[in-house]
Amino acid sequence: MNGLKIMSREEWQAFVDKLINEDARQVVGPRSKGEKFVFDQLDSADELRLDHDVTILPPKKYFLPTHEDLMTYDLKHPFNVKGTQEVEPRVIIGMHPYDIKALLQMDKIYLGDNVDTNYKARRDNTLIIASDILTVSENSFAASMDSITVGTGFDLLVTVLGDKVAVQVGSEAGQELLAKYGNATDASQDVQGQVDALRNALPSKYSKKAPSPDQWTDLLSKHQENGVWDENSKKCLECGSCTMVCPTCYCYDVDDVSSLDLKEGARMRTWDGCLLREFTLIGSGEIFREDVKERYKHRFYRKGMHLPKRYGDVACVGCGRCVSACLPDIADPSQLMDKLSQSPSDVAKHLEIPKQSVTTPVEGNLLVPEPATIRSVETLTDHEKLFVIELDSGKPLGHSPGQFVEVSIFGIGEAPISVSSAPGGNTFEMVVRKVGDVTEKLHGMKSGDKVGIRGPFGHGFNTGAMKGKNVLFICGGLGIVPARSLINFVIEHRMEYGQVMILYGCKEPSEFLFKTDSANWMAREDIQHITTVDTCREEDAGAWDGEVGLITTIMPLVTFNPEQTIAVVVGPPVMYKFVIRDLKNMGVPDDNIMVSLERRMKCGVGKCGHCQMNGVYVCKEGPVFTYKDIKDLPEAI
Amino acid sequence: MKPRVAFFDFGCCEGCQLQIANLEEDILKLLDIVEVVSFREVMKEHSDEYDIAFIEGSIERPMDEEALKEIRENAKILVALGACACIGGVNKLRGEWSVEEVRKEVYEIADPKDIEGNPYFDLLPNAKAADEVVKVDAYIPGCPIDRAEFGRVVTSVALGKTPKLPRYPICVECKKNENVCLFEQGKFCLGPITRAGCNSACPNHNSPCEGCRGYLDEPRLEAAKDVIEKYGFTLEEMLKAFNMFNFKKEGY
Repeated sequence: MNGLKIMSREEWQAFVDKLINEDARQVVGPRSKGEKFVFDQLDSADELRLDHDVTILPPKKYFLPTHEDLMTYDLKHPFNVKGTQEVEPRVIIGMHPYDIKALLQMDKIYLGDNVDTNYKARRDNTLIIASDILTVSENSFAASMDSITVGTGFDLLVTVLGDKVAVQVGSEAGQELLAKYGNATDASQDVQGQVDALRNALPSKYSKKAPSPDQWTDLLSKHQENGVWDENSKKCLECGSCTMVCPTCYCYDVDDVSSLDLKEGARMRTWDGCLLREFTLIGSGEIFREDVKERYKHRFYRKGMHLPKRYGDVACVGCGRCVSACLPDIADPSQLMDKLSQSPSDVAKHLEIPKQSVTTPVEGNLLVPEPATIRSVETLTDHEKLFVIELDSGKPLGHSPGQFVEVSIFGIGEAPISVSSAPGGNTFEMVVRKVGDVTEKLHGMKSGDKVGIRGPFGHGFNTGAMKGKNVLFICGGLGIVPARSLINFVIEHRMEYGQVMILYGCKEPSEFLFKTDSANWMAREDIQHITTVDTCREEDAGAWDGEVGLITTIMPLVTFNPEQTIAVVVGPPVMYKFVIRDLKNMGVPDDNIMVSLERRMKCGVGKCGHCQMNGVYVCKEGPVFTYKDIKDLPEAI
Repeated sequence: MKPRVAFFDFGCCEGCQLQIANLEEDILKLLDIVEVVSFREVMKEHSDEYDIAFIEGSIERPMDEEALKEIRENAKILVALGACACIGGVNKLRGEWSVEEVRKEVYEIADPKDIEGNPYFDLLPNAKAADEVVKVDAYIPGCPIDRAEFGRVVTSVALGKTPKLPRYPICVECKKNENVCLFEQGKFCLGPITRAGCNSACPNHNSPCEGCRGYLDEPRLEAAKDVIEKYGFTLEEMLKAFNMFNFKKEGY
């Protein structure tokens, strides 16, 4: 790019006014609101406050709005979905370096893989005129976070130098904008010197300091049991303000809002925050991070450990917005990290993220479901039905065993459901337990009805690792559903495996799923199949010919070489602990144990944040993990 | 057949029904999916055959309790509309005085003969929220109700989706609306412990939240007390604000 340019203050004002009046794009910048500042539309250059210290919300709101329609639907023709809304082209003036740095982090998340269509459209249609910091916010510690100057991520960067304004060009688009509306000349060496001096003087203006970001991950790994987590979380209002004002927070929630005549509606996305109680709530009512202390901790671990491990940057730029927004004064990362650095450390735990993340092949908008038709419905028990689904495109789903899909009913919402059939064929099967609104509605649907499907998502079972080995399935309750996809796959390729053992238990005979499959497995010489129920009432005893007792009671009935056996464990959260304990006692190595976990997988593409266990996205790295990969994650089992 | 809807009011100002009447064109959309059989604010006809009953107001008298129980028996779905029906609201303030004192204050010049033994003047010891008398299936809180939320709850009920109220405080919406925090302006705001869903209506106009939507199910009271102390508010200011819509609520 060309060198530094210079214009007078009047010429700068004229440039901004021309931009506002003559350019078709919306022009926004920091304006005053009470004693604070907010990014808002500019109607004249006089409103622009380049001397602002910080705005209440970051300019993130222009890329990931507080509320947006992801798609609009017509309830009479639910799949005539209109995707991304028209994006308003925009010029943002006055973005500070820390906000640019935060936006570049956001790009890695939303544009890196599983690209978010709406975010990309806004990013492509926005020009950024950054500005050097003139006034330092009292709550900011951006100097410690290396985010008070920035070299990329802007189209133009302006520095107000008294009655002059220096302009650095950062892109061709910025160059064009300057040429079209501005009257800038080449700056002398002297001007560059003044800009450098202004930037060099900045760090000393920050009275608030934080431990250097390259220490954060280490500090957090060594202080998981520190008393500060208890002490501070007791004071937490759980108001979510710290996450709402954060320029690097990106979690969201989605809800269907229909018009009063129920003719149409919009699937809306809005900001969500991990401090809020219902963040990890799933359809069955379970909340995975119920303790406020764990939620309080999660925010810091995300910023200082999980996101750095995944994307390479500490997800805090030191803007200090959370410091201002937090009424009980406990959200301040600089204070917290400082406290940790002064405490004796406990045993370091690193909470690694397994490297088995799956990127969904991009084909258009990942959040828009494709139409599919229910081909048949079979009632399995009082609570479960089996659905055979065919995509209207006629294409096979293309899943691997253990993956899931997001099933969509417009007006109600979406739910993650495991695929229970083996790969192949033009239809696929899923078993749905009636636990929430979407599944309740599904239970009322019949052959020929339409649903929306997204996916398949997630990392399934590593079938390659099982070849030539014995396979031991241990399934509890609904766990048989995702496992069945693998069981039938293994049976189709029976010659490639050693012993095949299928242990299946459920609460009582009435909850027993896949009776036909079970009978077939039972009949085969080359499969050992044992079933059990936790309890069996007397009146059911005649019809029940399996065992009675917990799943762990039938485990000793099979014998195998533990080193040569892959154990596939799928069941309710409570089952894992006991089954895995017994498997370990039998000598099965940790990386021979595969588990499939259930969380709130809302987006399926590693963005919305709801399914995270510590730093692991269950929708991306999971739902299938080896026990070795997750045994040290406090939130996993 | 469209579900039949009836509106009933007890101790209230009928402002919440007025909010619905004020939906204007949108009310026509509503009539596409329901048949309104009783709605005093907009029509004079009345029928006792209905599927969905909207209850406005708090329950003041034994005769109201009986009426509400009867409505409950007739309706498949009963919805509490507005602060008075959802939490008792301002009507509960009369709990500060005895029934006799209240009657004397209000009907001082009336002939005692007209009042004694007359069921219209027979008050319960204090006003009750609808769910203190019967089972309530859905709530649309607020004083008055928020029309957008009314739409969300009604469409949810109609589509068979569980109508869900936020379980997080007003602060979430207030931040999204980029308001300057009222605490920072030295004002006492109930936002941190009040259930969201109104799109932070009052703070958007720089007025503190008064808690008309009721408190959160699990409010962080100890944390809130610390904050109140930190900002230097007095006990008197606090109680005044607390009692307005949530009179002497347990734990506060």
